[in-house]
Amino acid sequence: MNHPDPLRVGLIGAGGIAGVHAPAWRSLGADLVVHSLHGADDLAQRHGASTADSLDDLLARVDVVGILTPTATHAEIALAAIAAGKHVVCEKPLARTADQAQQIVDAAERADVRLFPAHVVRYFPAYAAAHASVTAGRIGQVAVSRFRRASAAPASPWFFDEAVSGGIVMDQMIHDLDQALWLAGAVTHVFARSVTRTDDGVRTASATVTLTHGSGAISHVHGVWGHAHLPFSSSFEIAGSEGLLRHDSAREDAVRLHLPPAPGGGYLPEVDVMDSPYTAEIVDFAAALREGREATVTGLDGVHAVRLAEAANESIRTGAVVEIETQEALR
Amino acid sequence: MTLTVGLLSFAHPHVHGYAAALADQGVRVIGTDTGVPDPGTIRGADLAAQLGITYAEDVASLLAEAPDAVVICSENSRHRELTEQALAAGSHVLCEKPLATSDEDAAAMVAAAERAGRILMTAYPVRFAPAFADLVARCRAGQLGQILAVVGTNNGKMPRPGERSWFTDPARSGGGALMDHVVHVADLLDELLGEPAENVHAVTNQILHAGIGVETGGVVSVRYPSGVIGQIDCSWSVPDSAPTWGGLTLEVHGTRGSMRIDPFAEHVAGYDAEGAVWQPYGPDLDARMIATFLDAVRTGTRPQPDGGVGARTLAIVTAAQRSVASGRPEPTHLH
Repeated sequence: MNHPDPLRVGLIGAGGIAGVHAPAWRSLGADLVVHSLHGADDLAQRHGASTADSLDDLLARVDVVGILTPTATHAEIALAAIAAGKHVVCEKPLARTADQAQQIVDAAERADVRLFPAHVVRYFPAYAAAHASVTAGRIGQVAVSRFRRASAAPASPWFFDEAVSGGIVMDQMIHDLDQALWLAGAVTHVFARSVTRTDDGVRTASATVTLTHGSGAISHVHGVWGHAHLPFSSSFEIAGSEGLLRHDSAREDAVRLHLPPAPGGGYLPEVDVMDSPYTAEIVDFAAALREGREATVTGLDGVHAVRLAEAANESIRTGAVVEIETQEALR
Repeated sequence: MTLTVGLLSFAHPHVHGYAAALADQGVRVIGTDTGVPDPGTIRGADLAAQLGITYAEDVASLLAEAPDAVVICSENSRHRELTEQALAAGSHVLCEKPLATSDEDAAAMVAAAERAGRILMTAYPVRFAPAFADLVARCRAGQLGQILAVVGTNNGKMPRPGERSWFTDPARSGGGALMDHVVHVADLLDELLGEPAENVHAVTNQILHAGIGVETGGVVSVRYPSGVIGQIDCSWSVPDSAPTWGGLTLEVHGTRGSMRIDPFAEHVAGYDAEGAVWQPYGPDLDARMIATFLDAVRTGTRPQPDGGVGARTLAIVTAAQRSVASGRPEPTHLH
């Protein structure tokens, strides 16, 4: 898609997630500038972007900022971008704390700029299809939902630093906490448990979160950062008064392929960037910006998800059920 | 020597599978029914005739024939009384799950079996699934490393209120989906982890089949002393329109490996004039459990799952019920 005036987008951070945001923006014909402590040149080279030596330099050259840095830095960078009058796309979690997330939303409102927390699971086709079915009333009233997400533990050490990332609940399971909110509405009570183990120097973690929604529905969310051989998979099951919906990425069967191992690489198929949920997310944000409409995910959605993750971490710390003020949950 | 086995009560629908399995094992089966059947359902002497077993007028006359063993398929709340009567008559007991509806009753049953020197086995057929045996063997061999977390689901259709109304009458069942479904997964975890659950949190609701009077949806979070966390979905969430009754899954994550089992997954799928077809072809777990019980009766060994695990798994349910009432996580009475 060619925009008459190319969007000028600045990406801050050049880690794993930048590798999917950059081609998504490029597919919209955006001009990209990258600023990062590490890897900016490499990312810029791969995606036809330029680099900026400082945040200020980047902010001077763009209209939209994509924040793709470790979680604890989101608030400071977002507030700086908003203060400079830039629209913000921020990787999830919107911020390390709900109070910071709310400050970002408030600042964006005051500055009259747009804010898009990148809760990309809303753009994964299976989840979007389930949401559409549920909102169309196909399974009646939502009763019991479960969401599960598992992968090998992330390699960058900051993910395991609770102060920086918020741990597995705030970093990984926030995807499904957002899904629970999206599908079953505001949450009133949260209970959670977690476990971490180190075996032969390898760190693994798991947590479970039980949610009671204002509607009476209950949800459970399970996350695993597992051993190195655990392939990524996610699944859900949503039981309603009139039916049930389920999906398991590990059981998708559209293609089967069995090949001998190919030493030194070999043919890798082109992945069409237009099929990527990360592209769908960026396309929605860009259209929302252009048309002045809401995107599928709003700034407040980002706040609510962080608040839920925070409540779950509090429950893990205290061993108690955490009540969320209804006013707050619905704000 | 041909064993004689009594079927005490036909209240639980598993009586059909157990009667068939007992007949296949070449034992003599006498049955008697108890409780108040729902109008229009086939029970008592008529069901005995259908199952091809001898019918006894009542529990006393059945026990007067001194059966080697009994299989109890009554309403949950009557398990204790029938177990005590059977043990007093010198019979070994295989009791349908849950073992009882209170921790006190379960402990009394275990003690009574000890005193009588007779077997008390709890009917947990999933224990006999080859997939579960594989999981246990791999965990014990260290293939999964240290276990972190387990997720279990046991979901099914709601027992039909017009045919088995006692399932949704707390006085006879002890509760709804929590009482019916948590124990199967809890039993697998008891065997797998080898430690009794420490702390339980549960939430329930009644949105599915609203108005039935007991919980139909439930989510239970369990912590074990070693730090393992478990989550169990026990909801009666399989819609009546589904082609099969439901199923059970268990997913285990360790520091070195992960494994998921779905012992009821094996089926031929397709469509007939009514819609989707689900034709299971996995092993008959009821038959394996009955065979283990009868073998223990014959040889005088102590089979698993026994009354002790029946009591320990019920303790998770009673703690879950206390948690639902208090809104807080609750310790099991075992700790």
